Amino acid sequence: MGKSDLYLGLDVGGTHTDAVLVGEKGIVSHYKAVTDHDNLLLSVRRAIEEITSGVDHKKIKRVNLSTTLSTNAIVENRLENVCVIISAGPGIDPDNFKIGKSFHAIEGSIDHRGAEIAGIDDDAVAKIAGDAARKKIKTFAAVTKFSTRNPDHEDAVAEILGTSADFITLGHKLSGQLGFPRRIVTAYFNSAVWRLYNSFADAIESGLGEMGIQGEVNILKADGGTMPFSLSREVPVESILSGPAASVMGIVALCDITRDSVVLDIGGTTTDIAIFAGGIPLIEKDGISLQEYPTLVRALKSRSIGVGGDSAVRASGKEVTVGPDRKGPALAAGGSQLALIDAMNYRNIVSFMDTRASAEGISVLAKKSGLAPAKLADTAIALAVKRIKYEVDAMLDEIRNRPVYTIHEMLEGREIRPEKVYVMGGPAEAFRGLLADAFGVEVVVPQNYDVANAVGAALAKTTIDIELFADTGRGTMLIPNIGVKKSIQHGYALADAERDARAYLAEHLNGLGVTARADETEIIESSSFNMVEGFYSSGRDIRVKCQIKPGVMARLA
Amino acid sequence: MIKSQKRMGLIFFPAYDWAISPTHPEREERLLYTQDQLREEGIFDIDGLVEFKPDIATEEDVMRTHFCFPDVAAVTTESHMISAGGALKAARIVLDGQVDRSFALVRPPGHHAMKSVHGNRGFCNINNEAIMIDYIRDRYGMKKIAIVDTDCHHGDGTQDIYWNDPDILYISIHQDGRTLYPGSGHVNELGGPNAVGRTINIPLPPETSDEGILFAIDEMVLPILKDFKPELIVNSAGQDNHYTDPITNMNFSAQGYAALNDKLNPHIAVLEGGYSIQGALPYVNLGIILAMAGVDYSCVKEPDYRPGALRQDARITDYIKKLKDVVLGAYFEPPAYQGLPPYGEFMTRKKNIYYDTDGIRETQMESILRCKECSGLFSLETFSTVYSLSLGVEIPIGACPACRKEGGKLIASAKKSGKYSTIQVIDRVKKEYYRV
Ligand SMILES: [Zn+2]
Ligand SMILES: [Zn+2]
Repeated sequence: MGKSDLYLGLDVGGTHTDAVLVGEKGIVSHYKAVTDHDNLLLSVRRAIEEITSGVDHKKIKRVNLSTTLSTNAIVENRLENVCVIISAGPGIDPDNFKIGKSFHAIEGSIDHRGAEIAGIDDDAVAKIAGDAARKKIKTFAAVTKFSTRNPDHEDAVAEILGTSADFITLGHKLSGQLGFPRRIVTAYFNSAVWRLYNSFADAIESGLGEMGIQGEVNILKADGGTMPFSLSREVPVESILSGPAASVMGIVALCDITRDSVVLDIGGTTTDIAIFAGGIPLIEKDGISLQEYPTLVRALKSRSIGVGGDSAVRASGKEVTVGPDRKGPALAAGGSQLALIDAMNYRNIVSFMDTRASAEGISVLAKKSGLAPAKLADTAIALAVKRIKYEVDAMLDEIRNRPVYTIHEMLEGREIRPEKVYVMGGPAEAFRGLLADAFGVEVVVPQNYDVANAVGAALAKTTIDIELFADTGRGTMLIPNIGVKKSIQHGYALADAERDARAYLAEHLNGLGVTARADETEIIESSSFNMVEGFYSSGRDIRVKCQIKPGVMARLA
Repeated sequence: MIKSQKRMGLIFFPAYDWAISPTHPEREERLLYTQDQLREEGIFDIDGLVEFKPDIATEEDVMRTHFCFPDVAAVTTESHMISAGGALKAARIVLDGQVDRSFALVRPPGHHAMKSVHGNRGFCNINNEAIMIDYIRDRYGMKKIAIVDTDCHHGDGTQDIYWNDPDILYISIHQDGRTLYPGSGHVNELGGPNAVGRTINIPLPPETSDEGILFAIDEMVLPILKDFKPELIVNSAGQDNHYTDPITNMNFSAQGYAALNDKLNPHIAVLEGGYSIQGALPYVNLGIILAMAGVDYSCVKEPDYRPGALRQDARITDYIKKLKDVVLGAYFEPPAYQGLPPYGEFMTRKKNIYYDTDGIRETQMESILRCKECSGLFSLETFSTVYSLSLGVEIPIGACPACRKEGGKLIASAKKSGKYSTIQVIDRVKKEYYRV
């Protein structure tokens, strides 16, 4: 970060739009407004104008944007008609993966090593293309089973479609990870929001141009990292569900997290939980789910539970419940349903707005249930804390019990033991003491947590992950999602593969105008198997996963 | 999203860092392509299908089943304890009600490991299924369990362990022992005097295809199971009957394996052999998992599958039809043992065991006390090319007071004699397993 450089972070969330300007010495200014759902573009433009007014626009070196545009389009089913063409070969009946209104399973098959079993049916593709043209469908998605081991069939589909497609998502470009059904869903969503996203991107770019802001523009992803704006135009699906990750990265910037930790974002309706190992947020192994659809979009490991300040407090007889729903604001905020924050008001843990309304509500329910008012409030608060603790423990359990595939990992696996709990969100302060008791560790409520999401957006670094697959028997090396494919010699070994993975990753990033230090690329998995046919070695099967993990450009702690 | 009819647990432990030797069929990447296939198919996103991490078996778990010489640590590695622990996990999740069905896709295998263990035979050191079954009987109080072993090789280890146990029905379907390792598993091997007809062997001719094996299931295995009424059915799920397997000569397919599991409907399956790691295992395992979970498997086929080319010879079909009567007779009207010693006396059997993988030769003298009240006190004297004369004593489940008393006497006098390097005791009544 240069001396007078400014970074602009913008989080267009479901309720609020937050923006911050961050300089070398920390937060320069922040801005908050209610998001205009029907005109996200307006929300973005207004936020940028407001926060940069009175600032030399040339000093703004980065504009990082977290937006719900793609997520909302998918959730609200405002999707463009996409023609999905898949080929599956032997396995689960591909009809199970039907998605969208124009779904076609055609002949063609590739096996687990990337060998072609049956050629793609060119005629069928041509026929589908003609059909799509008649129906005025202009966006496509092509996904073949094991395309991450051999993308030829997907490429062939793209070639046949040619100019009849305005845009086509090829499955292997999304991720190197296996998972045919996820690849189909992700490709479909990607194409379905492509046009919408790109017109939004056009407008943002011209808007920034008009304002004279020339810094680089990045988009936030659900894994807590960013991607260059230009690249996001090809993979808009990568921008889904980035909001919670932005908040988590904000905490990373605001606090110096170096150990195993738990991060809680307690809102009105829900509490989001994230887990850190040695100061690094954990990533979901497979990818995030959206609308019950598992995707290949990488995301921070998180869990959302129905406990928040506005969680409804009820009693049936002496049985007290908290949440999981919210029925409008708490009594203290003029609502009509007794909520958790009212119970906290009553016990003087906080003093939030109309405390008399809270007390009134507690005594009414107390009378009805036959509980003493203090007992009722305490039970509700204890239940909420217990639930949070329970879910954190369940998450840690799940991580501890996650399957491993080598004896080494089975015996040497390190266990995560949180040493600190970081809490943000409206009711954070109220929960501090209670959580400290429940977890038995230090609880930190960072300052400025209310803009953590925008700070996270401003300071998040570029993340990327690739999977290299090499088969010396077939003489091929492949890194599908960054389009690398080359021939290799029989002597190609694991060390070559690791070097190639790092080198091609760096080259790819440089091409996007991102500079990554060599020590930022990290090999996360690496294996080489000698394949034996009969009693003779027939080559090596080499796999290397390489990534740039989530992190921040600077810490404000 | 696909939803399974049955809640299914999968314990997948490929042991990517363990092999018997670099070119041995039992090597690191045996389950690599299976895992690739399962991931690519999205198996783990099926609603109702959950992957579990294996447990690690304890020394006690092994000593409940085996006599290990000189001790457990000497004849096992971590991989064996994790593989057996995978089977234990498969049992726990079913018996605790977390899932309806489970499949332990673990290696190394176990069904050639016998009661007495001096080393590795047939790629096996300890018997995963037996360790699991004895654990189930100890911890969950279950009594009658059936094992259906569908590995291409006769499961001589499992047969040996339950030879005298009337509550465990062991049925093995395999390539005829006259044509394949380990050479045993003939129809006349029926179990010890107190458990006649509780060991059933169905040896099939080489080149038997789906038709023949499924006939054996429908016409022999299912009627026997119906009569035996086990509380639990375990499948020793070897996959080396496959037409591409490099070390056997059968013609079974992925569709056949899936159909077999559909018909057999085992509660728990435990992987055994299967060495066609690219051409068979990815598809066979996929088929088995879908069938066990109650998900459509009709499109699961090997890329080179040609049903016409695998049709079985009419002579094989005839042979298997005739075998049916012999097998059913063996279970329903087993021949009585001739020339048995009277009750209260020991009956002995001498055995020579060869450990092919480790090149060990073992000689055993087995004795069982003829008892009217229980399955009888069991003991086994053993020595091998790697270990000197030792003794194993087992007081069986439900042992009568006389057999328990006799067992105590036997242990005391063995100890006093000083002639055994090691004495191991399995006391299934007190649930104590120890070395003296
Ligand atoms: Zn076998
Ligand atoms: Zn007895």
